[in-house]
Amino acid sequence: MAEQPPTVMLAEPRAASVANLEGELSALWRSASEEPSTRDALTRSCALTLLVYVESEAEGREVNDLIGAVTAQNPCRVIILIGEPLGSPPGLSATVSAHCHLPEPGAKQVCCEQITLHARGTSVENIDNVTLPLIVSGLPVHLWWRAGRFAPPAHFDQILRVADHVMLDSARFPNPEADLRMLAARLETGVETLKITDLNWARITPWRELVAQCFDHPARRPFLDRLTDVRMAYEAESPRVLTQRSQAMLLTGWLASRLKWEFAERRVEGSAEFFVFRDGEREIRIEREARQFDGAGCGVCFTLDLRADGAAPATFTFSRGPDGAVVQTRAEVPGSGPVGRTVRLEVMDEVAILNEELKVVGRDHVYEEAVRMAARMVASA
Amino acid sequence: MADTSVLPNPLREGIRLHRTPEPCAMVIFGASGDLTKRKLIPALYYLYREHMLPAGLSVIGCARTPATDESFRKELSDAVRNFLHLGSESDAFVKSFGEGIFYITDNFSDQKAYDQLKLLLGRLDRERGTCGNRLFYLATPPSFFPVIVKHLGATGLAKPQVPGRSWTRIILEKPFGRSLATAQELNRVVTSVFDEEQVFRIDHYLGKETVQNLIVFRFANGIFEPFWNRRYIDHVQLAVAEELGVENRGSYYEEAGLVRDMIQNHVLQLLSLVAMEPPAAFEATAVRDEKAKVLKSIRPIPDDRVNDFTVRGQYAAGFVGGQKVPDYRSEPKVSATSATETYAALKLSIDNWRWADVPFYLRSGKRLPKRVSEISIQFRRVPHLLFQGAGGEGIEPNVLSLRIQPNEGISLKFCAKLPGTTMQIRPVQMEFRYGESFGAVPPTAYETLLLDCMLGDATLFNRDDAVEIAWKLMDPILERWQQDGAKGLAFYEAGTWGPAMADALIERDGRKWIRL
Repeated sequence: MAEQPPTVMLAEPRAASVANLEGELSALWRSASEEPSTRDALTRSCALTLLVYVESEAEGREVNDLIGAVTAQNPCRVIILIGEPLGSPPGLSATVSAHCHLPEPGAKQVCCEQITLHARGTSVENIDNVTLPLIVSGLPVHLWWRAGRFAPPAHFDQILRVADHVMLDSARFPNPEADLRMLAARLETGVETLKITDLNWARITPWRELVAQCFDHPARRPFLDRLTDVRMAYEAESPRVLTQRSQAMLLTGWLASRLKWEFAERRVEGSAEFFVFRDGEREIRIEREARQFDGAGCGVCFTLDLRADGAAPATFTFSRGPDGAVVQTRAEVPGSGPVGRTVRLEVMDEVAILNEELKVVGRDHVYEEAVRMAARMVASA
Repeated sequence: MADTSVLPNPLREGIRLHRTPEPCAMVIFGASGDLTKRKLIPALYYLYREHMLPAGLSVIGCARTPATDESFRKELSDAVRNFLHLGSESDAFVKSFGEGIFYITDNFSDQKAYDQLKLLLGRLDRERGTCGNRLFYLATPPSFFPVIVKHLGATGLAKPQVPGRSWTRIILEKPFGRSLATAQELNRVVTSVFDEEQVFRIDHYLGKETVQNLIVFRFANGIFEPFWNRRYIDHVQLAVAEELGVENRGSYYEEAGLVRDMIQNHVLQLLSLVAMEPPAAFEATAVRDEKAKVLKSIRPIPDDRVNDFTVRGQYAAGFVGGQKVPDYRSEPKVSATSATETYAALKLSIDNWRWADVPFYLRSGKRLPKRVSEISIQFRRVPHLLFQGAGGEGIEPNVLSLRIQPNEGISLKFCAKLPGTTMQIRPVQMEFRYGESFGAVPPTAYETLLLDCMLGDATLFNRDDAVEIAWKLMDPILERWQQDGAKGLAFYEAGTWGPAMADALIERDGRKWIRL
């Protein structure tokens, strides 16, 4: 498969009048089309509107650096909203710019426009009035909530009303347990009619795939009804500990909700936590432990063991490889030798995940059920 | 208590998880050939890398070249690294992929090799959990198909190992025969051992993303289908042009020619997707029923009128891409008096309610000015010319173009007023390009088709009846051309759009080839 084309700025971001942003964008394109070097070589492309919400100028710059790689795969109008309620002096400022993707020889450059709106102090309350007219008519609207917990203030109501999809990142939740509970409550009450997806959920998708694959063959399916012990370890001493903690919660919530287990109780013993579930007479214990991992690599760092009891016990294990780039899987089931393999562990960066999220169609009910289950598990925390 | 083994895997629910087939062993006959190294193994590697293949997937190469498991693994690992330009790929991962690869030296007619294969498959079931699922891929020259199929049957490998619980499938690479009689014979041999449901005839053209999008374009949009008929459409053109000559395939091409190589399969497949009725569902039987139905509705060209509806050509020397290129008869392994066609243009009619009186013009050739595959739907002219004397001469019919390759996309030509105080009309294009709207790189055709086959989805594969109908349509043309020999063969300069006779074929009807 080919690599993504390199991205360049069509022009330096230019300060623009908030009252005439469409006019400023038109002027930007006009000047580009008059430039001899780019004349007839550019095409303006837009398949959606991507709103990005951040809470500081520094985060706005981070997004600015990332966004070219998003528009390369998902041509769109990007509107970066920087909301600093405590910023001063109060006011709204804006810049316009465009990213272009260098094409194969002979093809036109595909260019996408970007507007950055910076609201300080009480002006944050006007952010929706300024944003709504800038949304491209007739195309989907995606909101990337690149802030902490998902608790949009009232002045976001109008934006949420027109958005088709919100992408949040539970790895950014300052208090994963409380914030997941808050999200679950939003989903539970049915108030939330939006499609919500979570970048952190996407990070554990490769693990969910690996676990699911173990039970694809009909002969393996009955082991799911005999699972009794699940052990999950995640990286304890890492800057990513919060990310991993919420990932572990989502993975547990997913397994329990998919297998229709009922949550019974939570116990903490040292660095390990035990969640006890019931399925009829059967008791299932999930042990979660934060522990030190050796070796290099980054991203999701789990080990996961599943054990099915009964007359013919079976085990399914998944261990992160020492270089952090692969997972060793092993299945031991009665009547056949152990089957293992090394699987490439794709650690997707934020942009790669976002590009995938932009393709998601419809609400992710599996995610929503996992969040609800995770919230029940930590309800007493 | 419900039998959970027959229920869907509950962990598979959800929109993010890929479709993953059950573990299986894939046996490639003719594994030392280019197809295995260039297409099959890179495709399998990508699927494996993206977690779309299950643990335990095993590949057994069978070929006449003596080799060992180790040497074959190394050869394929090198091929994967070369063709996929893998730089930093984890060695452990490539090694893990290689552990599932095995080799058997086989001249395809020695029963011992099949016995050895049977033993190895049994061992893989036990050791790698392939669960009795087998996929046989025939990547050999077609002359070996019957002997391989018969041996698979005689060894007891053609039927599912555990009925109802495991599957056995076979993929055949084209060409599927070289005439109706040979195609029927091949189908008879194959289906005497395998059931038709087990047979997957691969035409990589159907795995292309844009070909699949043709179905989406027609049936996922409400606005096009109402116009997709004789009331609004004047005619349809299908063009598959190549810049390349026959390269080092001279001996194959001498036997095949353009109609067997392109029209009988790729172009008629495209035609069937353009012209078929809406299927009841997007699944194999429904889609393939409709494709077969429309192929059956194509009016056969009578033997004595072949020259009225077809043109055949052969390239002479010329310039392509600024380079001087030789004529076809000077290509390696080509006869100096060859009458093989490297270009063909056909006019076909479909006798059904939707397409009555709407001609379908097909053209395909080698050494044309550029590589392009496009379907053009030309709509009828406006019924009354409102703008006569006021720029009305600028009015051209609307054309909807579906570009299969390169620069995949869809464009619509319509008329617009030229800015100014006078009424002047010019055609303009409204364009959608995949590369501009979607940055993601699509899977290769072989990735799509191998995965579909492992999942048991035959929607994008050819069925025996469609193959035979296509031959039935082409046979009279090929027979007439064979009888005529070089008489009637039109020559065209390499790097041009084919012989002038092809222009005459369409201009007789008051129409023109769309400029590509």
